[in-house]
Amino acid sequence: MKKRYWRCFICNDIHYGIAPPEVCPTCKVANAYVEVTAEEARKFLGGGPDTTFAPADFRKAIERFTAGNEFMVNPDEAKLATLLRGIFENEDNHGFKFCPCRLRTKDWEEDLRLVCPCNFTIHETYKDVPGGECWCGLFVRRK
Amino acid sequence: MARLLMFHGRECPHCRKMMPLVEKLEAESGMAFDKREIWHDEANADLMRSYRPVIAAKCGGQLRVPTFLNADTSDVVCGEMDYDKLKAWALAQFAN
Repeated sequence: MKKRYWRCFICNDIHYGIAPPEVCPTCKVANAYVEVTAEEARKFLGGGPDTTFAPADFRKAIERFTAGNEFMVNPDEAKLATLLRGIFENEDNHGFKFCPCRLRTKDWEEDLRLVCPCNFTIHETYKDVPGGECWCGLFVRRK
Repeated sequence: MARLLMFHGRECPHCRKMMPLVEKLEAESGMAFDKREIWHDEANADLMRSYRPVIAAKCGGQLRVPTFLNADTSDVVCGEMDYDKLKAWALAQFAN
C-alpha cells in the first residue's frame, strides 16, 4: 500500500502514512485527519518556524529516541563525533542524514532506508546479536 | 596482477580502523589497494555503484563500506575484520 499525506483539521499536524492516526498525537482529537495532496502537505510543513537541528540537537534527539529502547547511543565519544560529522556532511552534500558507512544507490525508496536512524534492528549486525550494533555503530545494544 | 579496490568513507569508523591495517599489509606484502572514498567523490561513488550486483550479494544486500573488491574476479569481502583475515583474503586474490 502506498503512503499518503493527512492533515489534522484541528491543529494542522501533518501525517505521512498508509492511514491517519486514530487520535491526533498533538491535540488528542479523534478522527481528525483528512487526506491532502503532497503539495498541500509541503506548504504546511515548509511554512512554519525554522526547526533545523544543530548537531547537538540531533544528538539529544537520538538520546531521547533510545531512552525507551533496548539500544543506546554509542558511548565511545570519538566514534560518535566521527559519525555525527559524517551524518551532517551527508545531509549538507546529499540532502539527507545518510549513514556514513553505506552508499546511496540513487533509488529514492531504497535510499530512504539509509537515513539515520535507519531500521537497523533487522540488520545482521544487530538482530539476535549480543552486543549488536547498527552498521555504522552509532547505536549499540544495551548490556 | 589482481586489481584490488578498497571502497571507504571518510567518516566511517570501520574504514578508519581498517585503513592502517591495509597500509600495513601494503608495506609488508608489496601489494597495493586502489582506495576510493565514496561520500566525497561522486566518481568513486559511481564506480562502487557499478559493482552493486556483486557487492550487494556479499554484503547484506547493500553497498557498505569498507568493501574490498577484486576488480578482475569480483571477489568481495566487506566490513571490519582483523589483520589476518584481511591478509588471507588479499593473498588469495593472487593465488591463481
